[in-house]
Amino acid sequence: MRPAHKFDDALMAGAGVLNEAPAAARLARLEAEAIYILRELSLFVRPALLFSGGKDSAVLLHLAMKAFAPVKPPFKLLHVDTGHNFAEVLSFRDTRAKETGLPLIVRSVEDSIRRGSVQVAEDASRNAAQAVTLLEAQQEFEFDALIGGARRDEEKARAKERVFSHRDTFGSWRPRAQRPELWGLYNGRLGVGEHMRVFPLSNWTEADVWRYIAQEAIALPSLYYAHPRNVIRRDGLLFPVTELTPAAEGDAIEHVSVRFRTVGDVTCTCPVESEARTPEEVLTETLAATVSERGATRMDDRANAAAMERRKIEGYF
Amino acid sequence: MLQHSRLSAGPRQIRFMTAGSVDDGKSTLIGRLLLDSGVLMRDQAASIHDNNPEGLAELTDGLEAERAQGITIDVAYRYFETPEASFLIADAPGHEQYTRNMVTAASNSDVAVIVIDATGVRSGLLKPQTRRHAAIAALMGLDLIVAVNKMDLLGWSEERFRDVETAFGDLAASLKIGAVTCVPISARSGANVVFAGAAPWWRGSTLTEVINQSRAPRAQTERALRIPVQAVLRDVQTRYYAGRVEQGAVRPGDQVVIGPRRQAATVATVRVGGRSVPAAKAGAAVTIEFTGEHDVTRGDVIASADVDYVRTFAADLCWLDEAPLVKGRRYVLRQGTLETQALIEEISFIHDIADFSRSAAASALALNDIARVRIATRDPVLADLYADSVGTGAFALFDPQSNQTCGAGMIWEVFP
Repeated sequence: MRPAHKFDDALMAGAGVLNEAPAAARLARLEAEAIYILRELSLFVRPALLFSGGKDSAVLLHLAMKAFAPVKPPFKLLHVDTGHNFAEVLSFRDTRAKETGLPLIVRSVEDSIRRGSVQVAEDASRNAAQAVTLLEAQQEFEFDALIGGARRDEEKARAKERVFSHRDTFGSWRPRAQRPELWGLYNGRLGVGEHMRVFPLSNWTEADVWRYIAQEAIALPSLYYAHPRNVIRRDGLLFPVTELTPAAEGDAIEHVSVRFRTVGDVTCTCPVESEARTPEEVLTETLAATVSERGATRMDDRANAAAMERRKIEGYF
Repeated sequence: MLQHSRLSAGPRQIRFMTAGSVDDGKSTLIGRLLLDSGVLMRDQAASIHDNNPEGLAELTDGLEAERAQGITIDVAYRYFETPEASFLIADAPGHEQYTRNMVTAASNSDVAVIVIDATGVRSGLLKPQTRRHAAIAALMGLDLIVAVNKMDLLGWSEERFRDVETAFGDLAASLKIGAVTCVPISARSGANVVFAGAAPWWRGSTLTEVINQSRAPRAQTERALRIPVQAVLRDVQTRYYAGRVEQGAVRPGDQVVIGPRRQAATVATVRVGGRSVPAAKAGAAVTIEFTGEHDVTRGDVIASADVDYVRTFAADLCWLDEAPLVKGRRYVLRQGTLETQALIEEISFIHDIADFSRSAAASALALNDIARVRIATRDPVLADLYADSVGTGAFALFDPQSNQTCGAGMIWEVFP
């Protein structure tokens, strides 16, 4: 006999809050799953939500507000500032935190460099260095769970990660020793000094995120939508010309309409050519894209097939 | 290459896994499915030159150790959409030592595609790990589909295909499951995976067509209400109870009973995403408010009136830890949102995977053993059978010392 299944797709739409369209039923299921995972944070004493102001963390924060409504979510927001952020994203981060009334903690890679716990070359990407600052903040505040917006469709190592991803006393992910994750019966048990990374958007794709942003009218930094920008073409990518990443001699600067698919470290995030000015238009472009989100925009993942895995073993989220 | 509008994904989501023995071609098959469905991005497909099977497998083998050894260690989850449905695929490892990861994948899937290397089936004998995976998938209630792989290496011999079909039919009969569809394929060449071809004698569907036709999960609304309470949310004056409707439906005015103490209560409001709704059904993440005061904590279940709680039950248990299960030792049992202590009182028998015979009673379970056990719990647990309700009939065991998730359990019978 086949046991009953947990979800009932057709009925999700019957909850009285969504129409019957297929995309809405699909989003309702993903939303319910993410909210269930967020509510499992009651297994922890001091959880924090990693909020950078990027699209995935904006979706995550929106879901958290829904999960605990009408009460405020029982956690703080944490941002690790690489010092290489787009100013517009930081102001969006601050505004959004104020609107939700959740305390925002910012810890910066710059401080870690001053302390000497992080050493990076002058012009190098600080993306990997974030891991050290993140772990320092985790220990400073004794956070036992860090909630992140990572999705399994982003990258091959991510596709292997559990929803509740256990980290040892070094903050290290041990891919070969992951706990079995059965039927959503999450295991939140920790030893002294260990913590958990929790990923409620694990089963979402980039397209799902945009569908949800459109459906819920979630505000984002305007960098995500088409705007004119000075760029340089190199290795099939568009490099933004900024104060941190000035043009070199002989570079041909072009002025083109672009948008960002991700808004991480300024020094390693590339925009794509685009005319999309609304979430619906971005979704249409996303569905027609022939290059993955990271492939199109991230220089640091292109170096090595295992780049992400190695960074995660060092504590990267 | 098959082209379709990815704007128009079908409404059904099919969660399926690949299972079967090592080197039978599970990862290659998933690579093939992704490639021929036209869903791969250019940068992701760049590793596949001239359809080399190694490149196909590497699409999902995302860990360094996996690529170095050419094996799958842990589950990779992949996603794709077609006009008929959207798919969540769990690529599970085949090695016996990673069976716990296969069990993880199975618990999150509706359908198992058992991949069998047809060249490895001799005189009707299936590999032990094929049998083990089929047994676990059947035990966990998944629908089974068999992909008979590497048929190109046998010249698409119908006779050899029928041999495998017969061997698996015998296995299905001993597992007490009904007819299972077998499809001859070559994951390497792609024949009969997404596109038909190669076997003139084959009149059946391609593998993707069979997966598309797999049974939709059974509707849950008509069943009795079950909402395990995840969290109590406190406003100034009001308490809200947050949880997921595992089955049934809930509306304002409903009479319910809460937790093992069977407190009677009336539902005042039902909220989804903070908004009041007239009803919420299976799958919905809800917040419930009751009329009057009630004492409710995480682990309690909001249920319809006809509910039973027990402290002793029999269960099928997959042991997933390298540390053996010891009869008489206390473990942490999680069912729904309840965590309580549990004692394995008796190991009634161990299922022998080779011939599905039952061993005599045992005093310990080793890694990958599947057994029938009798469990006693400190707190009463909801008496739902796994066959009736996954949401409340399944449980996990955690080791209180190592904190490992060490057992996957399915309630088989309850004792009053």
